[in-house]
Amino acid sequence: MSGTELDFDAEELAMLRQLFRTEAHDALETVTTRVLAGGSTKPSAEALTEMMRVTHTLKGAAGTVGLPAMVDVSHRLESALATVGREAWLPATADRLVEVVDAIRGYLDHVEEPDADARVHAIRAQIDQIVRPNRRPESQPPAFVEALPEPVLEAVADAGLPPEPKAWLRVEPARIDDLMSSAGELLFDRTRIERRVQLLRTLARDLARTRQSLHDTLAESAEAAGVDQSAEPATLAEEAEPDDRPADAESRARPVLRTTRVGAERPGLRAALADADAALAGQAALLSQTTAGLLDELEALRRTIGELQRGLTRIRMESARSLMTHAARTLRGLRRATGVTVELRTAGEETEFDKAVAEHLADPITQLLRNAVAHGVEAPEVRAAQGKPPVATITMRARQDGNSLVLEVGDDGRGIDTAALRKRLVATGQWNGPRAQLASEEDVLEALLDTGVSSRGEADELAGRGVGLGLVQQTVAKLGGEVKVSSIAGKGTTFTLRLPLSTTLALALLFKVDGQVYAIPNVHVVHTPQAGIQVAAQATTAIVGHDVLPVLRLEQLLGHGAANERRPAIVLSFAGKSLVCTVDKIIGAREIIIKPLGPLVAPLTLYAGATISGSGKVQLILDPAQLVRRAYPGAPAVVLGALDDRSSSPTLLAGRVLVVDDSRAIREAMTSMLGSEGWIVDVAEDGGRALQMARQVRYDLVITDLEMPALSGFELIARLHSDERCKATPIVIITSRASPEHRRRARDLGVRALVAKPITRRKLLEALAAR
Amino acid sequence: MAELRNVIIFTIGAVRYALELRWVREVVSLGFVTSVPTAPSALGGVCNLHGTIVPVLDVGVLLDAVPGAPARQGDGALVLEAAGMVCALRVDQVDHVASLHEAAGEVIDATGRPLRLLDPGRLVQRALELVTAEAERLG
Repeated sequence: MSGTELDFDAEELAMLRQLFRTEAHDALETVTTRVLAGGSTKPSAEALTEMMRVTHTLKGAAGTVGLPAMVDVSHRLESALATVGREAWLPATADRLVEVVDAIRGYLDHVEEPDADARVHAIRAQIDQIVRPNRRPESQPPAFVEALPEPVLEAVADAGLPPEPKAWLRVEPARIDDLMSSAGELLFDRTRIERRVQLLRTLARDLARTRQSLHDTLAESAEAAGVDQSAEPATLAEEAEPDDRPADAESRARPVLRTTRVGAERPGLRAALADADAALAGQAALLSQTTAGLLDELEALRRTIGELQRGLTRIRMESARSLMTHAARTLRGLRRATGVTVELRTAGEETEFDKAVAEHLADPITQLLRNAVAHGVEAPEVRAAQGKPPVATITMRARQDGNSLVLEVGDDGRGIDTAALRKRLVATGQWNGPRAQLASEEDVLEALLDTGVSSRGEADELAGRGVGLGLVQQTVAKLGGEVKVSSIAGKGTTFTLRLPLSTTLALALLFKVDGQVYAIPNVHVVHTPQAGIQVAAQATTAIVGHDVLPVLRLEQLLGHGAANERRPAIVLSFAGKSLVCTVDKIIGAREIIIKPLGPLVAPLTLYAGATISGSGKVQLILDPAQLVRRAYPGAPAVVLGALDDRSSSPTLLAGRVLVVDDSRAIREAMTSMLGSEGWIVDVAEDGGRALQMARQVRYDLVITDLEMPALSGFELIARLHSDERCKATPIVIITSRASPEHRRRARDLGVRALVAKPITRRKLLEALAAR
Repeated sequence: MAELRNVIIFTIGAVRYALELRWVREVVSLGFVTSVPTAPSALGGVCNLHGTIVPVLDVGVLLDAVPGAPARQGDGALVLEAAGMVCALRVDQVDHVASLHEAAGEVIDATGRPLRLLDPGRLVQRALELVTAEAERLG
């Protein structure tokens, strides 16, 4: 395999592959749609170009995420498309292409499995089938197409043609994700504003009380001086704050004002105080009204944000049908692998899921199906002896239940042997004897999910030792849901996945302090140099790039960390202010679901919410606004004095780089590689967007792909060079078109370096060193 | 109070408490308890309860009595809902559901032993006050 596995840790690689898989499915879908749109006739040149472009992109990304077989397959498919585009398009070509695309999808879903190589082999043969007839025109005369009887062509067209396309808008999912994350950010903003307004309300109330107190003091002193005092301002104050309790007001404000009883003998001062009192009453009332108005408007804002989020979620909704199709495909694969035939019954295909949720559910469903086939379903003769139909049925049902989506996967097999499970829990030391005896059936079934113990003793290729069920549990928990198992001996087992209807997924940076994991919204993280800034023990500031930034020691704010060691750090920026936070360990960026902390914890403004980890632990989300506030207690303090010499030499920021590539997997991979080298990385998915960004931000480097929709890499470079603002920016090309001709053209354009895909950390660093 | 039916009796440290069953949503064994730095000691941490984040409270601290043991995974807890807030009270032992009587100004159970009857509304309010005060102190 390529050097990729050295470039990313296992978790990162898994994340990149997941991204790649999603992207590949979209690309392959494009090919299928374009092929089918033409019926049995040849697609337009434009459609062919697009098919080749997406296939090409796939090839580049596959190499970067370490899937050489996929590189080969995409390469062959791209060549095949070029060949059939150039030469004759046979009636069978469309069908064969669709078959190949389906086979590639099947391969992508089973990349990690032992039969992956066999699949690749089959796909190659299938692709050759498409190309071969064109290579031997003598055996397949071109007149073949015309020779076909018309009705056959008609029939093919009728069967294969999708309905007339509506005016669909195709949007790259990443754009919606960006919007979702901004909407998620709005929630944080709203919470912050709400807290301020609550404070304002308290202030308004206190002001009214102080005013009342002043008024009472004045009245008393007037009485003492024998002056008639109008009671009018008092009623005004009561209007301002009807729930004001006088007793409370007295206890809070009176002691201070007693000392002001000095006006009794001085009528002029008393009159001035009375005027001030009346003015104050009016102002307090106004403040109170304004605050009440603000609260109403906040409520409106809350509703609008809610609608915005629901609307965005609806954009990403897809029906459960894709999951059912995925299940059918998985079962076909399992039948080939095990020889076990099961029938799939589905219900509720129209139930809509958040696409983000559905994508995460594919793997758990595969696991549940494997489990059913490996453990649940009995041999046909056993079933027949029990009076069951010989072919087992797996039922998959989706439905909406209030605010939850419910997905059930059930089989009509032997059921879970809870007695055996109790024994295994004891045998593996997870439970002690008494616990196993006392536990209810539900508890035992729950343990199956939690502990990953299997009711079957022997290891099993297909479903492991129940470890897979632990993964199901974790994935669902991460999505904010729950898994339940029910089982009846001899009748079958049903897994019920209950998921929230909508999820606010946000990208957050996770890190560890004092043994606990915390998160911070990733949009505010400027920089997480993995090998970069280590802040020394006593440093209160650190130099990042050209700035001296305050250091906030999270190990002291959140724990009891000793201040006598160098620590990894995160650079944050919020509302134009930056700071360095020291932590124990940086874990990395993850997609998280934001959960409210509830009214009891909410007053602790340090936290903006929480998320639940795969293992069900609560992880607190820190509010960057509060961290900045703590780092800048008064005016922005830039203190140079306390710099420790060793600490003042952190790794300098490498600069700001713009990465342009239409593959999200590549963008993510590059962000990770460059980020760890100290670059601030911005990304663009096409040339047009890149141009726009490069005109707004000064970049130290632009790294671009060549093959992109809308504006190609070479066009982008030409446009950048013709723009005064960006003409000096160095450019590096990453491409799978690394022919001598491409290299020459790149050199002519003054490009720094050309890196051939797949990209490895080593190649990238060499290219960067070239400047 | 002549008789109060359906109260749940439990022990924290050496003290026996009672709580009307109608406030109690669930009796659970706590999952992983995440500590909340900067929170007052009355808030022992937060816990994931069926996907919702629930604060775990220390009854001893809330009543200005002896603080209980720190809340840990596997500890018993009563989940209650009062004053619009859901929270969990860490307990050492849940005894039984019983009826209470009043005798000579003391609340006693059927065995005649005295115990302390909790007012969950006041308890939760007190927790909110403590958290708010701590938040204001930290600024």
